[in-house]
Amino acid sequence: MKIYKIISTAAIALAALMLWGCGPSKPILNVYMWSDYIDPELVQDFEKAHNCKVVIDIFDSNESMYAKLKAGGSGYDVILPTTYMAKIMSDQKMIDNLDHAKLPNLKYISKSYLNDLALDKQMKYSVPYMIGYTCVAYNKEKLGEIENSWNIFGNEALKGRMTLLNDLRETIGAALFFQGKSMNTTDDASLEAAKQQVIKWKKNLAKFDNEVYKVGIQSGEFLVVQGYSGDLFQVLDETPALAYMCPKEGISMSCDDWVIPTTAKNKDLAYAFINFVCDPKNAAKNMEFTCYSSPIPEARQYVSEENKNHPGMFIPDDLYKRGELIRDLGEDNAKYIKIWDEIKLSQ
Amino acid sequence: MKSRYTSLLVTLLVLAFMYMPIVMLVSQSFNASRYGGKWTGFSLKWYEALFNDYSVINAATNTIVIGLAATLFATIIGACAAWTLNKYKRSKLQTLHYGLVYAPLVVPDVLMGISLLLMFVSMKVDLGLTTVILAHITFCVSFVTFTVLARLQDFDFNLIQAAEDLGAGNARIFLKIILPLLGPGIAAGAMMAFTLSMDDFVVTFFVGGPGSTTLPVKVYSMMKHGPPAIINALSVIFMALTFTVAIAGQFLTRKKF
Repeated sequence: MKIYKIISTAAIALAALMLWGCGPSKPILNVYMWSDYIDPELVQDFEKAHNCKVVIDIFDSNESMYAKLKAGGSGYDVILPTTYMAKIMSDQKMIDNLDHAKLPNLKYISKSYLNDLALDKQMKYSVPYMIGYTCVAYNKEKLGEIENSWNIFGNEALKGRMTLLNDLRETIGAALFFQGKSMNTTDDASLEAAKQQVIKWKKNLAKFDNEVYKVGIQSGEFLVVQGYSGDLFQVLDETPALAYMCPKEGISMSCDDWVIPTTAKNKDLAYAFINFVCDPKNAAKNMEFTCYSSPIPEARQYVSEENKNHPGMFIPDDLYKRGELIRDLGEDNAKYIKIWDEIKLSQ
Repeated sequence: MKSRYTSLLVTLLVLAFMYMPIVMLVSQSFNASRYGGKWTGFSLKWYEALFNDYSVINAATNTIVIGLAATLFATIIGACAAWTLNKYKRSKLQTLHYGLVYAPLVVPDVLMGISLLLMFVSMKVDLGLTTVILAHITFCVSFVTFTVLARLQDFDFNLIQAAEDLGAGNARIFLKIILPLLGPGIAAGAMMAFTLSMDDFVVTFFVGGPGSTTLPVKVYSMMKHGPPAIINALSVIFMALTFTVAIAGQFLTRKKF
């Protein structure tokens, strides 16, 4: 009889639900972060060392995570937003100021990252975890060495074989860098000039794209693409025909930071966790897992030989000087949205 | 004759339009290349990586537990609601009831997610698996109700009267007549509830708390740092599961089975 089957399935579901209720009595650390962004072995090591259970939940964008927390969602002990979002959360008193006495490993964090780039230079409310940047990959087999500049997108010979990111801050930012401005400028004249620049570039592009460029550069359909370092270096590892460059005019960088929300229930464990991932040995493991860069120079001695000079994992200090983090511009964000619309509409 | 070929062509084009992306996805999941720009050989390594990833297994367990629990409760509540709606069709109260059950079908997910979140927060309920299950029951009930209601349209109530005339008690009528006749409708509703619960992202994201990450939430986040090939493999398995449930549901809604 069908009905008995349905009832028995239901009973199993109910039993499973009951079992869920009575978990282990070990302390639990609830982490809220991006997917595939920490080595699972490290999490197990931490669980053993502190006799606790780590529960990792994930979000897909800073904005949705913020919306959820702002509406009252809680229960998380450590969160990993991007720098600009960490600043907003701190300004709104959603996260704690950090007690450095509980974080001895902060001494390993790169001074040049903090001085040249960070928004929270004293690590008052956040601890940097992983840095990525935007660079340009190109097909070396077909193009040979190319000039280390954003100017490549003005090359009409490559018409229809190049892509820029479909991301208003990154793409307008590239034009601003090319004209020697900051990618966070709110000056109308600079923005107007940047708009004209992107429109000029657009004529040579196949399209603005955030996803397909990885496949396109690998298959040879595209010859030059702007992309995120974490993605591009994975493609580069697989495809020897490709090379990359970080334009001399400037590049955009982004960093994800550990923060502790004011609603955290298990703050001691949260501090222990942040301290744990800042240990150079653990940072090295994490970098090899994610292909991103921890701002912890000491970690270099613990990574395997072939990765010691990996450009995704160890960012040269001069890139910090050329780099810039995307900031939240508050009401001025509207200016960027307006010129982005105009760029999209232009023929 | 000519029009037959035209319609065949149109059908094939529509089918290709709908299913080509899925065919691409399935074939890419067996591609050894990480980004799938080139075919570098047949490989099952992404499936292997997938089954060794405990966070994916964890998310899958959550999805199934939530799906089964939500389906169970939504089916019971939904079937009862359908019965009531059908029996007291003409009363004003049931018109209101109909409207209330209908609303979740048309309310945007975001609205539902954020309003449920606000309610849970104001009631000081800890967010987690329980809140996700409650939220899923809320939207699944409507779908079950309407599936069962459709089945009730063909239900011959004379059968019940005949059974009463022949001396059957309520329990007996329920077990021997109502359940067997409505069973397929109820089961189809349950399948639908399970599929919806398994696919939901928006509501789950908002009302979820620590330890309640489900597969759709996991997949969205994997787009940022995870290797796309693992997402392909995961999607293939996910899709196979959804198709199986959907096809089973189709079989159950057939008149004879």
